[in-house]
Amino acid sequence: MKIGLRLMMLAMLVAMPAMLVAAPARAESTLDKILKEKKIRVAIDVGNPPFGILDKDGQPDGSDVAIARQMAKDMGVELEFVQVPSTGRIPALLAGRADVTIASISVTTDRAKTVMYCNPNGALQIVIFGPKGVAIKTPADLVGKRIGITRATLEEATVPKMAPQGTNIVWFDDISATIQAMLSGQVDAVAMTSFAGKTVADGNPDKQIETKLPVTTAFYGPIVRPGDFELRQWINTWLFLNTQNGTLASLYKKYTGLDLPPLPVF
Amino acid sequence: MGRSFGTGEFLFLLKAIPSTLLLSLGALAGGAIVGLFVAILRIVPSRPLRWLATSYIGLFQGTPVLMQLFVTYYGLAVLFKIQVDAWPAVLLAFSLYSGAFLGEIWRGSIEAIPRAQWEAAECLSLGFPKQLWYVILLQAARISIPPTVGFAVQLIKNTSIAAIIGFVELTRAGQLMTNATFEPMIVYPIVAALYFILCWPLSLVAQTLERHIDAALGIKQHF
Amino acid sequence: MNYVFQFNVVWDHLPELLEGALLTIQLSATAMALGLLVAIVCAYGKSAGPPPVRWLVAAYVELIRNTPFLVQIFIFYFSLPVIGIRLTANTAALVAMTVNLGAYAAEIVRAGIEAIPHGQVEAARALGLKRLQIFRFIIIFPALKTVYPALASQFILLMLSSSVVSTISAVELTAITNSLASTTFRSFEFYFVATGLYLAMALGFRAGLGAIYWAVFQRGRTA
Repeated sequence: MKIGLRLMMLAMLVAMPAMLVAAPARAESTLDKILKEKKIRVAIDVGNPPFGILDKDGQPDGSDVAIARQMAKDMGVELEFVQVPSTGRIPALLAGRADVTIASISVTTDRAKTVMYCNPNGALQIVIFGPKGVAIKTPADLVGKRIGITRATLEEATVPKMAPQGTNIVWFDDISATIQAMLSGQVDAVAMTSFAGKTVADGNPDKQIETKLPVTTAFYGPIVRPGDFELRQWINTWLFLNTQNGTLASLYKKYTGLDLPPLPVF
Repeated sequence: MGRSFGTGEFLFLLKAIPSTLLLSLGALAGGAIVGLFVAILRIVPSRPLRWLATSYIGLFQGTPVLMQLFVTYYGLAVLFKIQVDAWPAVLLAFSLYSGAFLGEIWRGSIEAIPRAQWEAAECLSLGFPKQLWYVILLQAARISIPPTVGFAVQLIKNTSIAAIIGFVELTRAGQLMTNATFEPMIVYPIVAALYFILCWPLSLVAQTLERHIDAALGIKQHF
Repeated sequence: MNYVFQFNVVWDHLPELLEGALLTIQLSATAMALGLLVAIVCAYGKSAGPPPVRWLVAAYVELIRNTPFLVQIFIFYFSLPVIGIRLTANTAALVAMTVNLGAYAAEIVRAGIEAIPHGQVEAARALGLKRLQIFRFIIIFPALKTVYPALASQFILLMLSSSVVSTISAVELTAITNSLASTTFRSFEFYFVATGLYLAMALGFRAGLGAIYWAVFQRGRTA
């Protein structure tokens, strides 16, 4: 019996370290990977004022870019930007090119089928705007006009629904191209965020750009890949804390000039 | 936004040129390795291997560069479950593309060598690999230089397509500056001029070299 | 990362993709015809015209061949309106493609024209043929027959490069693929299938061009 007991103790002594080493608690999540590599990759769209722009030194800036910087700082990791056009915001995330996309992705049920939303970090309004000479007062006025919209955006999902039959919708791959098209007269009006509209109007006072029609309002938030619950939870926690301490509101106001509306959580 | 196009904006364009050149050179290097492989596969005695090379060339010559870029950039991680950053993905796409065209150019050069050279090498009891290496390839290389340089010009221009997926090289820099200044009539012609400065000298070199090579060998690659 | 392929989404939208392919074919075929006309005029001008014409054609060809097609279409669509020329997206695409093909094809056709032995032209003149007849039967027809393979390759390259006109909102296969991909979020599946469609069109064009060669140059002829 003594030998048996000793044998058993020996076995346990050997087995215990083996068990500690051999069994990981769970598979490595994206959050684990980010913390281990001390680097987070964030997809941004620098052609999307004021959420993402290039400042005069050619460096990324904007409300979402500022949020990304603060988030990385609070996480204690290095930040790497993955610049994408609006059509690349979701594919880049799904392809693993970025860990999270912070590029004013409005919350829609369609997108929620392929990505996981974090809690919203802001709100935006989609409007149709154009030069003064273009007469659009009601949706019916859209008939026969060329309206430029950008692919993979909220306006792409909503404008075709509210524009009557006979509206000539023209698609572009990124927001800067859509803006260019309006400024060069290739389209009569465009649909995008009211913030972008204000930026374009301020930058081109001679064209007298004005808002014509509202389309919809939406909250937008960061998105992560399906299954990245740990990362989503960290981001939500971060959003909660920074709503409480006013950081989100001050960043929003800095770039949009507006007060941050109360943000829902889900 | 809405600033006028000045020195700062022009410098931004200039700073994108290294990206264009680096991508082109990298793709040329990568494509050279692939292309050599493909060219040789096209002339080996084995029919299945020849078919493989022909299909590869047909695939990349029969599809738009833009599509090749989309599939590689967005599909690589999805297909093979490996994560690559933007640069390697774009470089890979352009290398595979270059490999197909270079392979075809170099096959043409190899086939332009008169049959007599192969036979003479065989008479010296050199096996196929040795025939290729010691006798044929050096001669083929000389013939292949003009069309290869011509393709390099093609490659530099095609790197502009990477702009569509947001990769920052000269064309994308032009888009970004147009967005910042709202002056497409200034920015895009300047971008075109910058490409011209990069490409035209190379084109002239290719044309001059071609005149020195015996055109009767009939390898006129029209790109 | 676990990506689940869902190709059934693509098959649901196949009619729209096929419509896009049809638009690509229409756009490309029109540009091919117009571009060939431009090329023949330019080739003739370069080989037989007075020095100012020769210089003008040379400048046009070098300018187009040393700048990227993407930048060219940006200039036609975004830059020209600044000086008052506003082309719709599809028109700008057609013009850009014609101008682009014209430059490349001009060089090809010119090579074919210059390959015609001058003795042929002299003999024709001695037989009393008029200038236009000489051009039609002795110069252009044999020239096109000789360079047809190079022309065909250039045509197919043109059809493939039509994919970038999606960036200026012209409607063809890539534009439709982009819209479908961005609304269904199945980018990879759509690009994969679109690539296949382009490959099918490239093969189809090659076969079609081969048939045209047979019908125009070989049917009922002994030489």
